[in-house]
Amino acid sequence: MSDAQDILVPDIGDFDNVDVIEVLVAPGDKVEVESPLITLESDKATMDVPSPVAGTVTEVRIAVGDQVSQGRLVAKVEAATPASEATAPIEEAPKSTADSAPRPEPSVPEKPDPAPLVAPSPPPSLPPAIESDDGSLPHASPAVRRFARELGADLSKISGTGTHGRILKDDVTAFIKSALSQGTTGTQGAFGLPAVPDVDFSRWGPVETQPLSRIKRISGRHLQRAWLNVPHVTHHDEADITELEAFRKTLKNEKVYAEVRITLLGFVIRALASAMKAFPIINASLAPDGENLIFKRYFHVGVAVDTENGLVVPVLRNVDTKGILELAGELGELSARAREGKLKPQEMQGGCISISSLGGIGGTSFTPIVNSPEVAILGVTRAQMKPRWDGNAFAPRLMLPLDLSYDHRVVDGAEAARVSAFIVSALEDSRRLLL
Amino acid sequence: MHTADTFDLAVLGSGPGGYTAAFRAADLGLKVCLIERYPTLGGVCLNVGCIPSKALLHAARVIEETREMRAHGIDFGEPKIDLAQLGGWKDKVVGQLTHGLSGLAKKRKVQVITGIGRFESPHELSVLNDHSEERVRFQQAIIAAGSQAATLPDLPEDPRIFDSTGALLLNTIPPRMLVIGGGIIGLEMATVYLAMGSKVSIVEMAPELMPGADADLVKPLAKRLGAQCDGVYLGTRVTNVDAHERELKVSFEGDQAPADGAYDAVLVAVGRSPNGHNINAEAAGVTVDEQGFIVVDSQQRTYQPHIFAIGDIVGQPMLAHKATHEGKVAAEVAAGLKSGFEARVIPSVAYTDPEVAWVGMTQTEAKEQGIEFQKGVFPWVASGRALALARSEGFTRLLFDPVTQQIIGGGIVGPNAGDLIAEVGLAIEMNCVAQDVGLTVHPHPTLSETIALAAEAFEGTITDLYLPRKT
Repeated sequence: MSDAQDILVPDIGDFDNVDVIEVLVAPGDKVEVESPLITLESDKATMDVPSPVAGTVTEVRIAVGDQVSQGRLVAKVEAATPASEATAPIEEAPKSTADSAPRPEPSVPEKPDPAPLVAPSPPPSLPPAIESDDGSLPHASPAVRRFARELGADLSKISGTGTHGRILKDDVTAFIKSALSQGTTGTQGAFGLPAVPDVDFSRWGPVETQPLSRIKRISGRHLQRAWLNVPHVTHHDEADITELEAFRKTLKNEKVYAEVRITLLGFVIRALASAMKAFPIINASLAPDGENLIFKRYFHVGVAVDTENGLVVPVLRNVDTKGILELAGELGELSARAREGKLKPQEMQGGCISISSLGGIGGTSFTPIVNSPEVAILGVTRAQMKPRWDGNAFAPRLMLPLDLSYDHRVVDGAEAARVSAFIVSALEDSRRLLL
Repeated sequence: MHTADTFDLAVLGSGPGGYTAAFRAADLGLKVCLIERYPTLGGVCLNVGCIPSKALLHAARVIEETREMRAHGIDFGEPKIDLAQLGGWKDKVVGQLTHGLSGLAKKRKVQVITGIGRFESPHELSVLNDHSEERVRFQQAIIAAGSQAATLPDLPEDPRIFDSTGALLLNTIPPRMLVIGGGIIGLEMATVYLAMGSKVSIVEMAPELMPGADADLVKPLAKRLGAQCDGVYLGTRVTNVDAHERELKVSFEGDQAPADGAYDAVLVAVGRSPNGHNINAEAAGVTVDEQGFIVVDSQQRTYQPHIFAIGDIVGQPMLAHKATHEGKVAAEVAAGLKSGFEARVIPSVAYTDPEVAWVGMTQTEAKEQGIEFQKGVFPWVASGRALALARSEGFTRLLFDPVTQQIIGGGIVGPNAGDLIAEVGLAIEMNCVAQDVGLTVHPHPTLSETIALAAEAFEGTITDLYLPRKT
């Protein structure tokens, strides 16, 4: 005899309310260990929730379109083996399920309630306290306090321009305006921009409407947020990789290195890792208050990977401790899984800086968008043979275009130029990559 | 029993809080009913509280002023009091106001339902009166059921023993009257009956009159009462009242307990208790605490989010002006506005003679809570207007935050203190500093000047007093 086990949504990274896009089992289905039960869609990736046990599905508690978080009950599976031999321990639902506890909306019952005893619900949600952190009351008159309440402005965060620092109605208005323009809530960064006009294209010819891919829908919001919030500057440079390429090609013939495809990008990542060490400013983020810099003491690099459905950015961890071979190997593996849509959300988090490589496609330069809150992104396009003046004559050299976009609030132009020059010299003389 | 309409909002109780809430909600477009157990609107305040007591206190004040003028050359002789006529006038004042309320309700299409309201479910009330029982369905409700005079156990049933409601009927002027309770209500009634000619004694359990007010603020009143009353017994409680045919025999115990006394009437004014247990709130899922109070948040919501509570029933201070403001907040929130009760201070006033009024931090509270403060005091003996009123015992005191110079509290004792304290309340709500008040030109000669002068005294800019320089 066996008991039905609760299958819960496992740790899916820092994501809450992830959409369920597919339910793969129905009651009565037999499942093996690791059989996918449902598919979740998180930032830029889909993820299957596998069954930790083998057995028969007795109940499915999730439907397509639900939003789930870690700990949510997915299904019940009656284990084929005695429960004590179940392959995975069943995790307890986390305690923080307060939000999921449904609270009845006040409504007029159809009939008088015969048993009207209603258990008192938890204390009503209290409006924002008017006291500031240190317990002192904000310096504002009753009318201004009411005005702030109506707009949802926290008076303790507003500095007054009136006599003795009194908060005036205008101060509240200004605070709200600046909060809106800072886009603290995310996509509202472009508040006040004129809307793009709605155009009926079919007036000029046949059209066909297709849904934007899931990844584009999600990454589009993120890109717009980054592009509108970050004052971008892009620094262009070229690295002479004639010798590096020659060296890389010789490696292909050596058996020791034959197993991994050593790409040029591996060298670029390695060079970038050195640059992050030498210039901590590009491994920083602006604190949400806009007044502090957060320097990261770890070195993770996101690499944009082009897939059929759109752009995804898996993250290579601790690049400072890894050799080019290892980096190239990891990158190959991550890219392959990215193209299959099999990346886990955790594998796309925690990047400090990004690389966007247009590889062999072509082009001479472009302006990548900083993956905010990171402060820099390195763009790479196809290397080309170009004539280069060596002091006496033009010589054919293989030149790799590099484009470093940066958040000008954090990185100065001269700093960016130095970072760029550092990367160039590392690539031009690969001995420097050992340093 | 028949089933009535469903209302957007049912308001239980038509006191100042209840009718304000009902009217505000109606003005905001809700379909509102107002449930009141008594045939007139207005609750305790209008019918048997603030308003009739103020009419009688005015009469008392007139009597006292004519007596005071004897020393200054005008003698009216002893007043002849026609109790029926005086009572009739008082009732007319009340009637004018309650009638006015009915008219206001009608104009706003607020349906007044007379009877005792009790919750039957989270969305239904029953209203019982002599003729029928009605059912009232509602989407949201505001509980404004108020409070009632607290009683003492073991008192005999006797028409000569009454509470403030009985005292306001003014059926007789008892030759000897004992007031049990030296709080605001007891002292106001003592003021009325003293002026009418009763010999009044006051007994209070606490070691001082008017607990909660600063003792020095009460002192001028205590002094005057001490001279007028037969006895003021502090730290003393009544142990027994025996009703005899000709008088009431009362025994006392405590610090200043007198020997057994004989009285013709006993007024019990030992506070008020909330009516939370009388409305079957449990049926609506509204939690009532042991004392009968209902807990609410700053939007006046109870634990049942569609039911609000306001006024005496949600806690101290039990004051009409607190209830009206809470009523507005509840009505506005019920109508979907983003209101909240954000007043920082609620003034307290004793309409005694002299009046005692205070708002914000009291000196006692500041000391208890270890809050640093500095004060500015203006004694009325230096006010020309107070002297011209022949009443110079009062003073005005403002408390300031020593760092920001903002006013954090104020207390006034003297005639019209209750009217004067409003300015201090506004100053606190507006975060005024001493200069804001001192530099505001006040009309001369008025009692209102004393507030500006108290601010000047704090600042050291006053010229109407000579104060040694602050070091």
